[in-house]
Amino acid sequence: MIRALVTGTRLYILQFTQNAFDLSGVVLWPILYSSIAYYLLGAKNDPHLLFSAAIGAAVIAMWSLVAIGSSGALENQRWQGTLELLVAAPMPLAVSLAPITIANGVVGAYSLVATLTWGTLLFGVPLSIHSPFAFAIAIPICAFAIGMFGLVMAGTFVLYRAATHLGVATQYPVWIATGLLVPLSLLPGWVRPISWVLAPTWGFRAIRDASLGGHPWADIGVCAILSISYFVLAMVFLQTFEYVARSRATLRLT
Amino acid sequence: MAAAISVVDLRRTYRSRKGVIRRTTTTVEALRGITFSVESGELFGLLGPNGAGKTTTIKILTTLLLPSSGSARVLGFDPAKQAGDVRHRIGYVFGGDRGMYDRLSALDNLRYFADLYRVPVSMKRRRIEELLELVGLSGRERERVETYSRGMRQRLHIARGLVHDPEVIFLDEPTIGLDPVGARELRDTIASLHAAGKTILLTTHYMYEADVLCDRVAVITNGAIVAAGTPSHLKSNVVDRTIVEIEIFGAADGVVDRLRAIRGVSGVTVETREQAELLLVQSSVGPEIVQALLRELDSSTLGRVITREPTLEDAYVELVKPR
Repeated sequence: MIRALVTGTRLYILQFTQNAFDLSGVVLWPILYSSIAYYLLGAKNDPHLLFSAAIGAAVIAMWSLVAIGSSGALENQRWQGTLELLVAAPMPLAVSLAPITIANGVVGAYSLVATLTWGTLLFGVPLSIHSPFAFAIAIPICAFAIGMFGLVMAGTFVLYRAATHLGVATQYPVWIATGLLVPLSLLPGWVRPISWVLAPTWGFRAIRDASLGGHPWADIGVCAILSISYFVLAMVFLQTFEYVARSRATLRLT
Repeated sequence: MAAAISVVDLRRTYRSRKGVIRRTTTTVEALRGITFSVESGELFGLLGPNGAGKTTTIKILTTLLLPSSGSARVLGFDPAKQAGDVRHRIGYVFGGDRGMYDRLSALDNLRYFADLYRVPVSMKRRRIEELLELVGLSGRERERVETYSRGMRQRLHIARGLVHDPEVIFLDEPTIGLDPVGARELRDTIASLHAAGKTILLTTHYMYEADVLCDRVAVITNGAIVAAGTPSHLKSNVVDRTIVEIEIFGAADGVVDRLRAIRGVSGVTVETREQAELLLVQSSVGPEIVQALLRELDSSTLGRVITREPTLEDAYVELVKPR
């Protein structure tokens, strides 16, 4: 199972890198993020702001990549006829589809590191990380947790043909509910419990606290617990949705 | 021999809904209670025109679709309820351009599917090398699939379907769209799998392919099996017939009906060729029917006229023609 996850993740990242359009976006976005942080948000005068802005932007990008990238990838699988083959394989569907969302999370993690690196190289912002070890753990665990959160949604992508539309529709609600766009303190109280079960909330806090000082390990722990919970939930959802898709004959576009 | 595949009174209905305010439901009966079995080590052909129910049958047997009613067994397991038990024992290959990660190499594709089918690491490399050799892709395995010809893709499909050495192989129109050389190479591969003792269920609408490869065939049309047996058995249904092929340039209206009306003519079909049409006349009175046919076609411009023995295709056309 682990081997299928690793090979699959490598395969989807490799596939991603074979497309010049996708690749150029991943290379250019971090430069854009670091430029925005430097010029627009005033990071020039407050180096810590670059970190906060870059981390926020990168977690936003991570979720976008997982939500849109994964739904788009699943729609492509349907078009290219591989979705049926993944379903027909003896591996649980969650294991077959997890590499798609994990790969998008990994690309998002790269985006974060690249944003910080470009900020240092282009604008001379000092790269001072409070807890390098926690930072090195927080990034992959955040990427993984967001990938697993995307996997929970993948069930609906399997069931419905307009997967990309669903992916796009989930972008803003998650950005808002996790406090990445607007501070949670400005939102109604009922939004807060929602933010607690969403991985980007804890992923952002873990990376921010590891970089700027705080208690990242608790956030990292919550990310890990959420990842396992998401995976279990995804197994149940995907099993159910696969059954429904087999019943409704929606696995392939012909 | 034990039945590797058995299907009893299998039915499948598709329902599609349209509209938001005025919601309409369309129902299509894809399978209307089919029954057949495939023995272990047998190469069984499911023949039929487009939309006959061949792919629906294969999808039910490969666990991708649930039947509306009836039962199916693959190696003793129910594909609807024991999908996990069925999946690692079968290979599924379909025809056409799709079903591969085009931006990746053949090797990456095969490695991934080997892991999805839990092929042990110790066997994976050797197994992939053997398969590449079998399908004639050795030396090309590191090239991207998108650069492959259709024939190469189809052979890669076969390799992918065999990566876990399945006991039963489902081939859904594997030679569709291939050029004659590619189709022949693929038929050779299928024949070698059969010779190696694999149980194969092949769907096709190429009669020559079925005649050459299959031990037994079933003809399916409009979701029902209308005949089953060996290719020779099916041909025997039309063995008393003589087939007259008449090439005609610019056939006049009603000519087919006039030919059908001739005593001794049991069927007429028309195939459109580049500049002419080919009338295929089935007759139960032997070659002497030719005189009567030519008399009726007196005012038409004719090309080649030949009489021949019936083939499996003639038997098939007779079986699936609208009644």
